[in-house]
Amino acid sequence: MAEAVVRDEAQGATTQRKLAPAPRRQYRAPTFLPLWALIGGVIVVALIGSYPYYGSNAYVLSLLGKFLCFAIFALSIDLIWGFTGILSLGQAVYFGIGAYFVALSLKINYAMDHPTRYGGKFPDFMEWNGLTELPHFMRPLINTPFAVVCALLVPTLLALLFGVITFKRHIYGVYCAVITLAESLILQDAIIEYQAYTGGFNGITDYSNYATPAFLWFILAVAVVFLIVSRALTHSRVGTVLKSIRDNDVRAEFMGYNVANYRIFVFCVSAFMAAAAGALYAAWVGIISFLDAGPVFSIEGVIWTAVGGRGTLIGPFIGAFLVKGAEFFLSGALASWWQIIVGGLFVFVVLVMRDGIVGTIGNLLRKRRKGATFEEVMEESDQRAHDRQLDWQPGGPPPADEPVR
Amino acid sequence: MLQSIITQFLSGFSVVAILVIAALGLAIIFGVAGVINMAHGELIMVGAYTAAVVGKLGGNTFAAIPVAFVVVGLLGLVIERGIIQWIYDRPLETLLATWGVGIILQVLIKLIFGPELYYVGAPKILEGGFRVIGRLPFPWYRLFLIVMAVLLLLLVFYVIFKTDLGLKVRAVRRNRAISGCLGIDTAKIDMTIFAFGCGLAGIAGAVLAPIKSVSTTMGFPYAVDSYMVLVLGGVGSLWGVLTGGALIGEAETILSFIFNNVIGRLLVFLFIVIIIRIVPRGIFGYYERR
Amino acid sequence: MTNLLEVKGLTTRVSGFTIINNLDFSIEENELRVLLGPNGAGKTTLICMITGQFKPAAGSIHFAGRDITGWAPDDIFQAGISRKFQVPNMYETLSVFDNIMVSLQGRRRVFATLFQRLSGAERDRIWEILEFVELADKASDPADSLSHGERQWLELGMLIASNPKLLLLDEPTTGMTEDGKHKTAELIRKIAQTHTVLLVEHDMHIVRQIGKRITVLHQGQMLADGPMSEVMNNETVRRVYLGKGKFQ
Repeated sequence: MAEAVVRDEAQGATTQRKLAPAPRRQYRAPTFLPLWALIGGVIVVALIGSYPYYGSNAYVLSLLGKFLCFAIFALSIDLIWGFTGILSLGQAVYFGIGAYFVALSLKINYAMDHPTRYGGKFPDFMEWNGLTELPHFMRPLINTPFAVVCALLVPTLLALLFGVITFKRHIYGVYCAVITLAESLILQDAIIEYQAYTGGFNGITDYSNYATPAFLWFILAVAVVFLIVSRALTHSRVGTVLKSIRDNDVRAEFMGYNVANYRIFVFCVSAFMAAAAGALYAAWVGIISFLDAGPVFSIEGVIWTAVGGRGTLIGPFIGAFLVKGAEFFLSGALASWWQIIVGGLFVFVVLVMRDGIVGTIGNLLRKRRKGATFEEVMEESDQRAHDRQLDWQPGGPPPADEPVR
Repeated sequence: MLQSIITQFLSGFSVVAILVIAALGLAIIFGVAGVINMAHGELIMVGAYTAAVVGKLGGNTFAAIPVAFVVVGLLGLVIERGIIQWIYDRPLETLLATWGVGIILQVLIKLIFGPELYYVGAPKILEGGFRVIGRLPFPWYRLFLIVMAVLLLLLVFYVIFKTDLGLKVRAVRRNRAISGCLGIDTAKIDMTIFAFGCGLAGIAGAVLAPIKSVSTTMGFPYAVDSYMVLVLGGVGSLWGVLTGGALIGEAETILSFIFNNVIGRLLVFLFIVIIIRIVPRGIFGYYERR
Repeated sequence: MTNLLEVKGLTTRVSGFTIINNLDFSIEENELRVLLGPNGAGKTTLICMITGQFKPAAGSIHFAGRDITGWAPDDIFQAGISRKFQVPNMYETLSVFDNIMVSLQGRRRVFATLFQRLSGAERDRIWEILEFVELADKASDPADSLSHGERQWLELGMLIASNPKLLLLDEPTTGMTEDGKHKTAELIRKIAQTHTVLLVEHDMHIVRQIGKRITVLHQGQMLADGPMSEVMNNETVRRVYLGKGKFQ
């Protein structure tokens, strides 16, 4: 008969005598870095990194850098969406702010070395809009390292503010999605409106860009680091807590976890990543505009993540490369029809391959080991999606006491 | 200055009307059917293009309204049967899927009509304006919009609350399984309500076409505005549509006048966020309880 | 024996209805108290109040000497109160093992969990609990693959893992077979040997199996309170439960 457990208050610690005999059981926790991931990752990194040696097309080189930035952006979306269950349709806000800080700084420095036709040592778009000199509040941006720090910090702080305002009041689901969408649209409008400071419609162009192999390796390194950090995060106790919050936030809250704080934390990490992606992008590509901060780009990131597989970390990479790569190869031939394919792809992924490419493959592999059929795999995925989206109903999530239908 | 503010306040009524007209279709689809329709803007756009076609064929806005209702309503039927019916219990997926539909619609319209802007004129009878206050005349068309908004609100109210169909719709919304057991054809209800909501979006498009030029991207800002109206006013409530539209419309008009457009929108946005903090489901929103 | 939980003059209004009306209620340490009452009596609402889901319109709740009225749910948890929901609430995609692990008593703050690793002692504890609720063979299975009864036990296991001072169990045998209910009742009795338990139940067999002291709620007020034999023979209680009795 099992002995009772007694809580030793006086000692402060909990001495727990056994409830039942505890045999040595087998439980295999998933490994941090499975062998296939390590090998695959090394191959991919090597392929991309060595492109400057076996390829000579400068355009493809520039695409590689761009795609990597997009992939990091999609990864940031996966972190908050796939793992924490928050859909932000305005992630581009953080990408855009990061990009604009860096671009402005580079542009200002460029202008100082390459005076305009009228001799002004400040960006041409400012001159066109009637400014006579660099605005005072922009002077600190002359210092590029400072601008980079701002590019990373300002979006993160903005995300913190947003998180505290909305998550602390349990505003999730569709309301959060709509608010972030509006946020993105407003930023885009603001960029266009204040064109004297931002370049407006034309964006910021003609500044030195860094599309060199060395910078490609830098971007690649950053991407790998972020991927490893994300893996560590989702693999750790925090990751398990996040997944438990995603699955049942009421239970988590009544089990002592401050759900809002966890969500804010991930949101800030995700914003930081998106900002880094934007900063790298601005430096790599040499042109940025309001489009990089607007809702369309935000949702593109969501599409890449959905196609690649949310909640899988490598899914976003694959999604971004696949969709953007296909666009590069096909849009020439298909022109506008390409957009229809993208839209159709989105609908297809949503209806059929909910877990995306990587997710579905993962499901199949896992289930094959247990001998389930393809239909069963799909059905389980359906049910999971149904259960997880209860807090997307307009009336809010059903009370925890109500049976899940 | 005060006179200007009053003028703005009055002209704000038409902005309120525009918001209400645009948001009604979404209120039906989201509030009643629970579908997060990201193609709402594109549906409005299709309605506007329908009005353009009607205009080219010699009709005016009054003729365009029923045509747009039918055209976009049928389009909604196709979307519902093809895509939406599989994902009613997964609202997040309706968001994503309808976004895809929106993209497709945009491109299709651009392929059919080309990228240039269209101009749809107001009916002759509604051109010009009348004196209310100050020196600028109040356009007749704006008054027409206000009338349309009221009419549409009443129409929706009547359909949802006074008809048999509306009763069935509300039953299905509350409890799909039991309604099915009680003999209500849930599939038919779903189709009807979605098509009706899309039809309303079509009417919105036809009615809003003369305000700005018609282009393939005109719909998106209306969609975002409609969502803001619902978020603020409360999903699933007609009072919410009216209140949300009124608050946002007036606030945006007056603030845009005092500052500028972008700051006006930003302030309204912040205002909405503050209100949501206090009433997370919107002013007239409901928490589903047993 | 001091009162672990002390509720005084509690009044709650939800959606305009006064569900709990000036209720005085207390539980002693290490007690197994059963809370009975017809539907709508306010049992679940009382639990919601204690765990911080609703704020009271009036009255106070004291726990272990501290006033916890109006605290946030996660703070109340840290104070030592755990709650089981009527419907099994667990983390569906997580494995059974992870469900227990995440509920283990321990630090809950974001930065504290960042570098937390599972110690040997904790691992043993998890297995202990899994054995206790008879889910040890399913440790690596995702929680949504469990049957309804197993899910209830999983949630019980999660609560045990959190090692609370007071366990609030809201109809934990809902939807179980007769066998399952017996087993669950036994589990609860074992748990109650070392924790304070408030059990809300409908099934009188279970109440007879493990109940000692019973409180009956009706329309938000206390109808009867005392040892089982006394309460069961109370005329008013019988009328309310079996007939159409109205509490004066």
